Amino acid sequence: MVERTYTVALAGQPNVGKSTLFNLLTGMNQHVGNWPGKTVEQKVGHLTHNGTTYRLVDLPGTYSLTANSLEEIIARDFIIKEHPDVVIVLLDAATLERNLYLVAELLPLPAPVIVALNMMDVAEQEGFKIEPEVLEAALGVKVVPMIATKNIGTRELVAAIDEVIHNTVEYTPKRPEIRSDHQEVLEQIEALIAGHVPEPYAQDWAALKLLEGDKEITRILQEQMSEAQWELVHEVLRDHDDALVAVAGGRYEWIGRMIRAAVTRPKAGQIGLTERLDRWATHPFWGLVILAAILGSAFWLTYAIGAPVQDWLNSAVVGGLARLMSNLLASAPSWLQALVIDGVIGGVGTVITFLPILVIFFAILALLEDTGYMARAAYVMDRFMHLMGLHGKSFLPLFLGFGCNVPSVMGVRVIESRRARLLTTMLAPLIPCAARMTVVAFLAPAFFGRAAALVSWGLVALNLVVLALAGVLLNRIAFKGARAAFIMELPLYHVPNGRTIGLTVWQHGLAFLRKAGTIILAISVLVWALSVLPGGAIENSFLARIGHSLEPLGRLMGFDWRLMVALLASFVAKENSIATLGVLFGASEEAGLAELMAGSFAAPAGLAFLAVQMLFIPCVAVVGVIRQETGSWWWTLFNVAFLLVISLLMGVLVYHVAGLFF
Amino acid sequence: MKRLLQTLQGGGTHTVAELARELGVSEALVDLMIEDLVRMGYLAVATGSCGGRCAGCSLAKACAIGGSSRVWSLTEKAAQEMQNAERGHRAGR
Repeated sequence: MVERTYTVALAGQPNVGKSTLFNLLTGMNQHVGNWPGKTVEQKVGHLTHNGTTYRLVDLPGTYSLTANSLEEIIARDFIIKEHPDVVIVLLDAATLERNLYLVAELLPLPAPVIVALNMMDVAEQEGFKIEPEVLEAALGVKVVPMIATKNIGTRELVAAIDEVIHNTVEYTPKRPEIRSDHQEVLEQIEALIAGHVPEPYAQDWAALKLLEGDKEITRILQEQMSEAQWELVHEVLRDHDDALVAVAGGRYEWIGRMIRAAVTRPKAGQIGLTERLDRWATHPFWGLVILAAILGSAFWLTYAIGAPVQDWLNSAVVGGLARLMSNLLASAPSWLQALVIDGVIGGVGTVITFLPILVIFFAILALLEDTGYMARAAYVMDRFMHLMGLHGKSFLPLFLGFGCNVPSVMGVRVIESRRARLLTTMLAPLIPCAARMTVVAFLAPAFFGRAAALVSWGLVALNLVVLALAGVLLNRIAFKGARAAFIMELPLYHVPNGRTIGLTVWQHGLAFLRKAGTIILAISVLVWALSVLPGGAIENSFLARIGHSLEPLGRLMGFDWRLMVALLASFVAKENSIATLGVLFGASEEAGLAELMAGSFAAPAGLAFLAVQMLFIPCVAVVGVIRQETGSWWWTLFNVAFLLVISLLMGVLVYHVAGLFF
Repeated sequence: MKRLLQTLQGGGTHTVAELARELGVSEALVDLMIEDLVRMGYLAVATGSCGGRCAGCSLAKACAIGGSSRVWSLTEKAAQEMQNAERGHRAGR
């Protein structure tokens, strides 16, 4: 008697080598067509072994068997309705977790499953050690290791098909269970749909699918039941709309068990190194220490290399340019001379002298980002906030935007609760942006010489402490209960790429020069104009009048009217502070601005100025974004006022405290 | 998976590595769960777009919103549902 032809279905996720395997098994005996009534390709072939003929059907590659795509429905329906005698599921051994999800969904279906564990060579290369026998015991189904590309394991697979079909071995799969706390609900649903589940679907499977929210099964059962009957089911489903998590969770737990049993991964190479470094870099205490050290070194290095270059630029380039222009314009009207020399060169020229500092600082930060450290820095700073009592909050978006407050304010978007968003936005400008730090970088050496790095570092730390305190205060007063939670993926550490860094620095340098050539130039000229009108002497100018009106406030911090004006100018762009001071102090020929400042103010005032600058209201771009993101002028103004008050208070505090020491 | 969501409910920032360690599973499995949670609407990928302002911004490279590490946030939907579920369980259903 001739045995009938058995049907074998071949399932698997895309790119696991299904086509390769299919061709190996069927050779030329295959036929390509379409699934009946659909546009999806179907391959059917034949294979003969030990006198038995098998009809092999290649199912579409799918990641799972939900009802979300045509391919998945085709695959699922074939197994349920056509009843193949065996389903082979081909897995990529190198990405086992993902592949096992499909197996988790296949096992509850009515056909016996054989697992073909393909790409064992790739898995080995990646450092995985998988034990097929252990996996077999854990799964309760036959597991055949293979390397389809080398035709290894094919014979064993065919033998396995033979075994399963002829029932020579017992088939006892260990299926995934729904999470235990939902077992009752599952039984409830099963009872409610009993008798209404159409052939060939199985009752228990259909119940599970309903809990999962499977669209097709829901539709089918709704059609099969009366409205009243369905309403009962619908009620239960509605009460448990988190059931999907329970179903998926059950599968993940199952996958976890399989992996733990059968897979070991010795942590070699990059991964091991990353893990070991991160034990320190993300340590609650040491991580912060490391960050502080790195930041301090960044400043120190910047000054060590940058300051001499800056001095040279100042005397040779800016000074030289000033001399050149004054010679060229000797016969030009005096206002033009003044405009060019005092206004343009004094303002813009001064700002350009900090290009070297900027470039070095950016290069260091780009280097840190390229090695992958910056992500850890953001994480550590976020943890720091927790240390300050801000439990349950997360300021990750702020720290991710370190360097410019605009993206950090926009990053706040990702926080869902409006209250939490508002809180975080209030604090965003307290993160020191690169522009603010350049102002500090410029003036610190003038006042503090060798201690500049320490002072800069200290000011950044001050900002963060103020940030934390402000956060705690706002939290207590206004935003109880607003929570935000994030998951962050830390990339592997890797060797930095010189070209990438070079390119980044070049781009930023260019962007900076562009800014200098436009906004800063404009403001410099404006400030200069305001400082010489109406009379020509700076003391009687419009600007002086504005400045003097603010002077009483300034004197609390040891400032004179010129510093107050500089603060005002920084609203448009932080670097304008420097440009303005350059114009007002007449920096160009003989002395650079830094020396002039040092000469005019004692250290406490200088320190206070820097502190205020760091905490001051953000530049107009940031305020604009705050308005855009909060959608309210009221909040924006409140935000600005808040920062104004904080910065001025800090300025006064620093001035008086520093006065005790210097 | 529920434990992952519960850990997140406590707020704060967690790294993938941390979660893997806490749940006793591989990082690959955590990645998989995250993907699924995004699909279910419990997690949202954090893509803050600067709207092209990166050009004028001093440190676009250091800004990880456009950078190399991925961040996900717990959605309001998730927070709500977990609260409801807890209340339901406490009511002794």
